[in-house]
Amino acid sequence: MRVSLDWIKDYVKIDATPEAIAEKLTMIGLEVEAVERIDDDVVFEVNVTPNRADCLSVIGIARELSVSYGLPLVFPDLKIVAETAPLDFNIEIAQPELCRRYAGRIVHNLKVGPSPDWMKKRLEKCGIRSINNVVDVTNYVLLEFGQPLHAFDLGTLKGGMIRVGTPQAITGESSMKFKTLDGTERDIPGDSLMIWDGERPVAIAGVMGGLNTEVTESTRDILIESACFEPTSVRRTSKALGLKSDASYRFERGTDIKALKKALERAALLTRELAGGSICGKIDIYPRQFHPAEINVRFDRVNKLLGLNLSPGTILNCLKGLGLDITEQQGSGFIAKIPPYRMDITMEADIIEEVARFYGYDKIPAELPEAIIGGTGLRDNVYATGIKRDIRQSFLKSGFTEAINLSFMGSNDLDLLSIPQDDARRRLVKIMNPLREEEAFMRTTILPSLLRNLTHNISHGNRDLRFFEISRVFEDSGSGPLPDEKERIAAIYFREKSGSLYKEEAADFYILKGVVEAMLSSIGAGDLSYVRSEEPFLHPGRSADVLIGGQKVGYIGALSPEVTDRLDIKAHKPSIIALEMDMASIISASKKNITFKHLPKYPFVERDTAIILDANIEAAAIIGHLKSYPSEMIEDITIFDVYQGKGIEEGKKSVAFNVRYRSREKTLTDAEVEKLHSSLVEYIKEKTAGQVRG
Amino acid sequence: MSDDLKQQFLDELKSVAGPADAAAIRVKYLGKKGLVTASIKTLSSIAPEERKQAGQRINELKQFIEAECDKMEAVIKNSELKGRLITEAIDITLPGKYACFGNQHPLSRVLLEVIDIFTRMGFSVEEGPEVELDSYNFEALNIPKDHPARDMQDTFYVSDDILLRTHTSPVQARVMEKKKPPLRFIAPGKVYRCDADVTHSPMFHQVEGLMVDKDIKFSHLKGVLSAFIQEMFGHDVPVRFRPSFFPFTEPSAEIDMGCILCKGSGCRVCKGSGWLEILGAGMVNPRVFENVGYDPDMYTGFAFGMGIERIALVKYSIDDIRLLFENDMRFLRQF
Repeated sequence: MRVSLDWIKDYVKIDATPEAIAEKLTMIGLEVEAVERIDDDVVFEVNVTPNRADCLSVIGIARELSVSYGLPLVFPDLKIVAETAPLDFNIEIAQPELCRRYAGRIVHNLKVGPSPDWMKKRLEKCGIRSINNVVDVTNYVLLEFGQPLHAFDLGTLKGGMIRVGTPQAITGESSMKFKTLDGTERDIPGDSLMIWDGERPVAIAGVMGGLNTEVTESTRDILIESACFEPTSVRRTSKALGLKSDASYRFERGTDIKALKKALERAALLTRELAGGSICGKIDIYPRQFHPAEINVRFDRVNKLLGLNLSPGTILNCLKGLGLDITEQQGSGFIAKIPPYRMDITMEADIIEEVARFYGYDKIPAELPEAIIGGTGLRDNVYATGIKRDIRQSFLKSGFTEAINLSFMGSNDLDLLSIPQDDARRRLVKIMNPLREEEAFMRTTILPSLLRNLTHNISHGNRDLRFFEISRVFEDSGSGPLPDEKERIAAIYFREKSGSLYKEEAADFYILKGVVEAMLSSIGAGDLSYVRSEEPFLHPGRSADVLIGGQKVGYIGALSPEVTDRLDIKAHKPSIIALEMDMASIISASKKNITFKHLPKYPFVERDTAIILDANIEAAAIIGHLKSYPSEMIEDITIFDVYQGKGIEEGKKSVAFNVRYRSREKTLTDAEVEKLHSSLVEYIKEKTAGQVRG
Repeated sequence: MSDDLKQQFLDELKSVAGPADAAAIRVKYLGKKGLVTASIKTLSSIAPEERKQAGQRINELKQFIEAECDKMEAVIKNSELKGRLITEAIDITLPGKYACFGNQHPLSRVLLEVIDIFTRMGFSVEEGPEVELDSYNFEALNIPKDHPARDMQDTFYVSDDILLRTHTSPVQARVMEKKKPPLRFIAPGKVYRCDADVTHSPMFHQVEGLMVDKDIKFSHLKGVLSAFIQEMFGHDVPVRFRPSFFPFTEPSAEIDMGCILCKGSGCRVCKGSGWLEILGAGMVNPRVFENVGYDPDMYTGFAFGMGIERIALVKYSIDDIRLLFENDMRFLRQF
């Protein structure tokens, strides 16, 4: 809120510099975001937190400063003299639960016209445009007291009365149309509090007046309304209508039920001063009287919570001027009665905050708590955090850059990937109020985001792209109120097909597969296997599901040409390798403990053999067969060459493997190894119907 | 005769040019059918009184030739190695093949740094759901429906009761429901608000923290958070605590640190104030304790929260938050 220093000085005579005052306000919780000099005055832009409705006014801010500087708060004289006859007008509150108090004053025979310069300037400095003297007065008092007022053209009010109630209560309607001051016709819900005259609605209570009773150039008599509406009711109405005003902003934060009378007097007096006319007696319907809350405060609790050692005198001195009605209790504490403008103070801790504010947060010492030995966290969490870090590092060190995308996607992202209707990834969590249609759902897969990053980068000339992201995906579980949230790691590898500086480039698929295997091995996750993947968006011949302990934890593979064609990539036949894996499965497969194995005592002997077999037999099957051969002497088997082409029959391939033999008991002789190896070769020939390559 | 042989050897040795010549000359003189070997065989035909002397001479010659051959071979081997090293030379200015590590996202960099500092101070790490119940996100934290405090946070809704969490604070309530004090943890994670411009992203990251025990005081809040800021930004960074408002803490504080860009003299980033808002914090509101079944007279605690994007923007002088989520390599490569 914008507030003029000159105006504040009407209430508290401070002579500190504007900068010092701004600093002071900030340090008692009224953050001054900007200090602006206008003419001879200074305007503070104050950030008022939602609990401090009282500071949405000049007087409220002046009161805070009066406490801070130990200066008195000076009020203007609000005595109304020369009151004419009591008025012939009725006010009825149909629903006291929504309107605790409603007061009004009538001013007769005034002349609507422009406001004097001083009024215009003050309003403008606070960001309010001058309209006419009558409306300006209501706005002026709103700024000054924080009490929203409304002026009705009395001549247009029918039946000599005001009624306060919802359409449901007054007419039984569940909704109605109503044209507000701004000329907009609005649909009013049946439970919105309205102001009515004898025949029809004339204002939305606490939000905006109606066009039908607006004060105009020809207005002669007015009714000034000063009321106290239930904050939640005003807020609901304002939200339902999407209509906010300076009035609703204050009502929904809570207004001072006692000060509304003073504000009304102030407005009546100012109206007479600016527009002439005569003030009539007032009506004040006050069905729900204010009873101040009483809060018990313990001196030792104040010190214990703040980490201070203040005397009772110092504590009470901090609170002086706040308007609390304090009764001391034998030195142990006090009871504070809370004034109506401090509805934010509801418990002991709130009073302790007041003590801290005026004692000064900066004077409270900074000390470190005693150590808690034996962490309070779950070991599992700590462990998972560490493994997650290892996984991230593996990808970073393998040349993959970390991406972070918004957690949203559009449903067409799943169409892009040809995800079938019955796939779990279609169990979407929809956002009711998304910013954009493409962000209307929570992601069920990270891949679409990475593909977007890919096309973005390619279009900006970035080549050779490797990204990964670790984030959660969200699937509507169908059971329980909240969706399943699973953390995933996804990665994408794209390299433009161009001449390489170096020979021996591995196929892209194997590069990403190598990264995954290195990552898993670094965290001790074993029992890894691959089967051909049936993911609809992957190339069926170049993709695999990744299994740990026989359970699918994700996929890795080249995107199918169908999908890459849909992407906006200019490159010729781009090869994009993607993976997505479940983090929890990876973490639970990681090995927590390492047990040392003794180093071998005896030397190893190696044998290489190439066999020619059917080209369809996969490497994993060949290794599987070799490992199934019963011998304790076989330490390791690796495939080191696969060849198809010249010299090999069509439909066949040559697979060369290396076997490392070692005994735990002795040094193996050549003859022993020869015998072992030839029977192994016979075995694998038989299993694969292969021939030894000559 | 052996002098002639020696001279002949030395003459031939001069013309040795490569390893093949060296091997040939060795065979020619010292081989089974070599010249020196042959002259040893002639010893038997020499008169016995001269035989000893002749034998000695031939033996000397043999040793001389052996030594010379060894020397020559060593020279040849050496020059051969030199030649090989030259021909094997590569262009060392070509780029290395696997030299390029990936780059960690600046947010994850800052996030891990924050986590590290707090775990060093004995805080553990907790997590909670990002799609959250209204009751945890707001009501457990003393923010009832129709409360203006909800205006501080524009919320994405999935249904009337389910929303995208607007802060990491619901983790406070979730953990306190399950565990008894003492507690000391942080809860990092993604949060959501429907707002998007140069300084706001609809998704961003926060780190929440909570410490609860008997006798936890406001002065502890000041101590721990000052220590954090100084670990993170430098030990000479000034820190100030000023009153603020959060429904789930009382008293509440906003924590500023001296602007690290202008060192407090005022600049665009700190809007001329010399201070940067970095943390929100406060003593846990007794109502929050009551909501989770803690006795507010027995336990006190402090809670705090910070935005990771804000720290990253300031730390790396990034002027548009959207860059953080575009994942442009030209941007990410800088971290």
